[in-house]
This record gives sequence, C-alpha cells and structure tokens, in this order.
Amino acid sequence: MLPELVTDSIILFQMMCVVVIFAYLVTRTRFYTEVLEGAFSWKNQAILILAFGILSIYGSASGVDILGAPLNIRDLGPMVAGFVGGPVAGIGAGVIGAGYRMTMGGFTAVACSLATVLAGLLAGLINLANKRRFPGTLLAVSGAVLFEGMHMGLVLLISRPLSQAVELVSDVAFPMIAVNAAGMFIFAFITLNLENERRTSRERDRYQAELQRKNAELQIAREIQESFLPPSLPTLPGYALAAESRPAREVGGDFYDVLGSPGGRVGLVIADVSDKGVPAALFMALSSTVMRASAAWHQRPRDAVSDANALICRESGSGMFVTLFFCILDPAEMTLTYVNAGHNPPMLARADGSLIELQSSGIALGADSGAAYEEREIRLSPGDLLVLYTDGVTEAEDASQQQFGDERLAELVRGLRDRTAGEALAAIQEAVAAHTLSAPQYDDMTLLVLKVGS
Amino acid sequence: MSTILQVAEERRGDVPVLFLKGRMDATTSPDAEAHINRLIDKGDRQLVVDLSGLEYISSAGLRVLLSGLKRLKASGGAMKLTALAPEIQKVFDIAGFNRLFLIYRSLDEALGTDTAR
Repeated sequence: MLPELVTDSIILFQMMCVVVIFAYLVTRTRFYTEVLEGAFSWKNQAILILAFGILSIYGSASGVDILGAPLNIRDLGPMVAGFVGGPVAGIGAGVIGAGYRMTMGGFTAVACSLATVLAGLLAGLINLANKRRFPGTLLAVSGAVLFEGMHMGLVLLISRPLSQAVELVSDVAFPMIAVNAAGMFIFAFITLNLENERRTSRERDRYQAELQRKNAELQIAREIQESFLPPSLPTLPGYALAAESRPAREVGGDFYDVLGSPGGRVGLVIADVSDKGVPAALFMALSSTVMRASAAWHQRPRDAVSDANALICRESGSGMFVTLFFCILDPAEMTLTYVNAGHNPPMLARADGSLIELQSSGIALGADSGAAYEEREIRLSPGDLLVLYTDGVTEAEDASQQQFGDERLAELVRGLRDRTAGEALAAIQEAVAAHTLSAPQYDDMTLLVLKVGS
Repeated sequence: MSTILQVAEERRGDVPVLFLKGRMDATTSPDAEAHINRLIDKGDRQLVVDLSGLEYISSAGLRVLLSGLKRLKASGGAMKLTALAPEIQKVFDIAGFNRLFLIYRSLDEALGTDTAR
C-alpha cells in the first residue's frame, strides 16, 4: 500500500485533470465564446447552467476524504458559471449542485447547499459589476478564496452540533479553499487565453480585410495611371516609335507621352517623379497633366517646360520634383528641339556608329520656381536611334547591388542602331532582365524609343 | 555596399552637422528626413550635411534634401552639402541640383564659409 499522502495526492491530481479537460472542452464550444462576447441569450444561459450544474454534481460526487477530511469542488462550477454568465447562470448551476448535495444528506447538507447557490450568485454579481465580462485571473481566484471562506462560515453558523462543525471546518478549510482556488485558476487561465486568441484573430481578420481593400484600390489606381499614358503610339511616316513603362510597385512615378503638334510636329515626353509608390503616382498625375496642357499651349519647348515648372512648383510640397525631357520632332525638317530638365540624358546612336547624349539643360521641375530652361536643337539623320529612359533602367541592380550602369546602356544602344524601335526596346529590357535576374525590380522603368527610317 | 543609412549629428559651434553614411533611397530616407525636420522644428536655420560616407542616392534621397532646403530657405536659412563622391555629384549634376544647393569640397570649407557664396 502506498502512503495516504501519495494516494490522496493522486486523487487530487485526478480531480484537477478532470477540471482541466472540462474547462478545455467547454471553453472551445460556440456557446461559451458567444457568452464571453456578450451574447447572453436564454439558450446560452441554459446550456451554461446545465454544463456547470453537471460540473458541480461531479464536484460533490468526486468528493474524497483527504487526510481524513472531506474535500470537494462542488462550488467551482457555479462560480465559473456566475463569473462568465452572470447571476442567473450562477444561481442556476448552483441550484443543480445544491439539489444533488441535499440528496447526500449529512449534518452540513443545508449549509453546503446554500453556500453553493450563494457562490454562484455572488460570482454572477461580480460579472454584472464588471460590465458582464469575465473578471481577470486575480479577481476570479480571490473570489473563489472568499466564497470558500464564506462556505466555511455558513457551516459554522448553521450546522449543528457546533463542536462537530468547528472540528470539520478546522480540518478542511485550508484544503477546500486551496483546491477550489486552483480549479478557478485553471478556468480563468484558459478563458483569458481564449479571449486573447479571439482578439488576435479578430485583429488579424480586420487587418486582412483592410489589406484587401487597399490592394483593390491600388489596382484601380494602377488602371487610372495607365490611362494617363498614350493608349497607342502614332504612326509617323519615315519614323517609328516604341514605348513601355513598368512601375516597380502597383503604381509609380514614371511617365511618357506623345503629343501631336501643329504642322505635323510631334512632342515626346519622358519623366521620372522623385520617390516611389502612391506619393509619386499622385505627383505623376499632376505633372503629366500640366506638361500636356503646357505643351499644347506653347510652340517652343523652352516655354512649355518653364510654364510647367512654375505650375508644378506651386504644388510641390515635401520636396517632390520631377525630372523631365521634352522634345519636339519636326519630321519634315528632321530636327529635334529639346529641353532636358534634370533628366537622365537620352542617348542618340547615329548611323555612323557614334553616340551622343542629350545633356541636362536645366533643373528638375518643381525644385526651383525661378529656374531657367535652355533649348537645344539637333539634326537627325536616316538610321538614327534615339533612346529615352528613366534611371530605373540604368540603376537596375543585380543581387549583389551592381547597377546596370550608363556605360553598359550606351554600349548596348550603340549596337542596336540597325534595329527597329520595337526590337531596340525589347533588347534593352531583356539586357536589364538578364542583369538583375531574380533580384526584385526596385524602381520604375520606362523606355521610349524613336527610330529614324533609312 | 550597405542597405542602410546611418544618420549621425555633431554640433560645430552653433551649426548642426549631419553625417549621412550608406545608401539614401526610398526605404532608408525617412530617418534622415525626420532628423532634418526635427532640427528645423527646433529652430536651427543653418544646416551642414556631410555626404562623404554616402554610397548611393536615389530620387527619394534627393527629395528629402530638397524638402529640407526649401523649408530652410523659406525661413531665411541655408543648407550646405559637403564632400560629395563623384557618383553622388553626378546625380546632383544631372538633376540640376548642383545649382540649387551650396556644395563644398570639405566640411572645413563649408563651416568656414559665409552662407552668401
């Protein structure tokens, strides 16, 4: 035979195991979470009463003599029911437990039964005082200690003969309080865990819904932004055009434009707004509209760009600016008149194998309202290939942060002078893709290619 | 090459000097922007930014410096940049920002010079 202390400990351990499993199962049910979230329907309260009434009966039935004193967790069920579901649930479960206790008889039957109902009621009142929410672990466990103390007080007050009641209470008071407090701790712990878990999952759901909404908005923004670019490129006798803009994110700050002009002349624009993402996209919408209007108004590129700068400067908070190259092609005269406002110099590969860069002739738009812009003119020859690009092309990086580079682009463009506009565009895109490989595209990338027919 | 931007501040007399080291792009610039704004909010009107440790600057980085310059100019102040590496200088040259900022070869030169160049 094992010593009494060991067997009693095993029995106590067994009781706690039942409490843990019961607590786990009951807290996972829908009605329990509904009650925790404030849905105190009659059906939920009835289930609560029944479930914790049964736990209370188990508490009486499993009661054992521990070191010679009768010990039980009858009050635990009604207390939890009260803390979770309020006074009705607490009293209900208490009445079931009390009814069973009465049938067991004994000189403490009335006091113990009354204590069980009262424990359920008081726990329910605490729930009410706590705005119908489960109180924290500390309050629930302190409540359990207090109610078990009250239980002992009732035995002393009601049960007779008094001498027997005093002897019983002095034997069981401490273990009864301890075991019920432990049971309450288990429930509180699991219940609060559950509440945390549900709160986290609610927040995650909300965050995901928000994310979905934002993604949908960005998708629409992207479509709107794409509509700012020319839907198709004009066909020019003796010339060919090709263009493509690829934002690094859903929306970007690059744009290009092809504008009709009086006398068969054609305006070409390529531009790159500072920064990326939504701020850049908004500024791009402003800049492209302003530039289009200004180009329609003015004959000379210099005037169009100066005016656009003045307008953009008025709107450029937080240091936003846009580098822009604007040129007017006169197809008949074969001249290109341009202004480079701080943009990466376009490359012109000439039929003779040389390459010139159309250097910057002024500051980026939006940076300085008093900026002056210089206009330059070059003559085109049959076979010339003009490549306009944004820095997303030359600064495209591979996995080890090596940039594609200006020199490599220049070399490439020089070798493409015999190709069509579309072929040249595709070849540059392929070369950049071969350089970056799997590295993610970091910046918006735009190319506009003009080929002079030979 | 690094993927971060270190921002350090030193006072030389009355003038705050900001040392930017590493890579100034869309991801890393917000710290520097907050730092510059904090100095201006506190009442500093002269700011020297030492770029000797800068390896790369994107348009997002230029925007941050331009934003600071505009705020300082609006309240009668000035921003001086010093010690630009050739690649950084090239980015400033292309955007035309070399005409907008006061650019010095070294920190001593920037600190010893009057704002009205």
